[in-house]
Amino acid sequence: MIAWLTYVVVGLSVLLCLAAVWYAVRDRLIDDRLLVVAGLLELALVVLLVTGLVGLGHITDSAERATFVAYLVSLPVIPPGTAFLAIKEKSRWAMGSIAVGAFAVGVMSARLLQIWMSYA
Amino acid sequence: MPEPRPTPSSPADRRALGGPGVLLVVVYGVLALAATGRSVLQIGEYFSRAPLAYVLSAVAAVVYVLATWCLARGGPWVRVGIVACAVELVGVVVVGLASLLVPSAFPDKTVWSHFGQGYGFVPLVLPVLGLLWFRRVERAAAGATVETTAPTAD
Repeated sequence: MIAWLTYVVVGLSVLLCLAAVWYAVRDRLIDDRLLVVAGLLELALVVLLVTGLVGLGHITDSAERATFVAYLVSLPVIPPGTAFLAIKEKSRWAMGSIAVGAFAVGVMSARLLQIWMSYA
Repeated sequence: MPEPRPTPSSPADRRALGGPGVLLVVVYGVLALAATGRSVLQIGEYFSRAPLAYVLSAVAAVVYVLATWCLARGGPWVRVGIVACAVELVGVVVVGLASLLVPSAFPDKTVWSHFGQGYGFVPLVLPVLGLLWFRRVERAAAGATVETTAPTAD
């Protein structure tokens, strides 16, 4: 469950990151289409959060569990946060905010899966 | 050709946001979130395992939160932000060195251990970028105060 959910999250974050870079190159501002992708990513992250918290006992080492929970809880904050900044910022850099945020989501969720898998 | 947009913000209000600063806010924000969450759990669940490392992690987390806030707010916070970034830079260098020279003092890792290696050296690069950005904001503000006499709302 965690594994394929993470794949979905990584896929969506890569998509969002590339789309944001494309928008930046074309000098376009945030629009509904991009927000829908960010929204889907957010939805997947919330599902991942709930699933991860439910299955927390799976990770027996407390230090690894601390990292896992910290990332799990941080992740759903990122897409809305970067979208908010992107809406306020009316320059090309707004898309940079979305792209960097999406990249961070991809890396952090990959790290989550790495921790999870080490307790398989 | 798309028609040119008006410049996002006048430099006069010393906004740290606007332009590349927004990227710094995002990176700092993410680091602040992750570091704070991890720190709270480390201290709450098994503080005795490595007290020094966890106190340092907590300090780092607070500094990241502060720096994020200063970057996002700008204005009078620019000065505070400079101090925060400087503390960070000193922290990552000192803790980085200490973790290599006296590894026994760090049974568990902190954000700053080994110069932030666990975080792709982002903690080492970030304060430098932050300081450069704050300096740019300061300069723009100083230039604007000389040029314009119009009152600026904060």
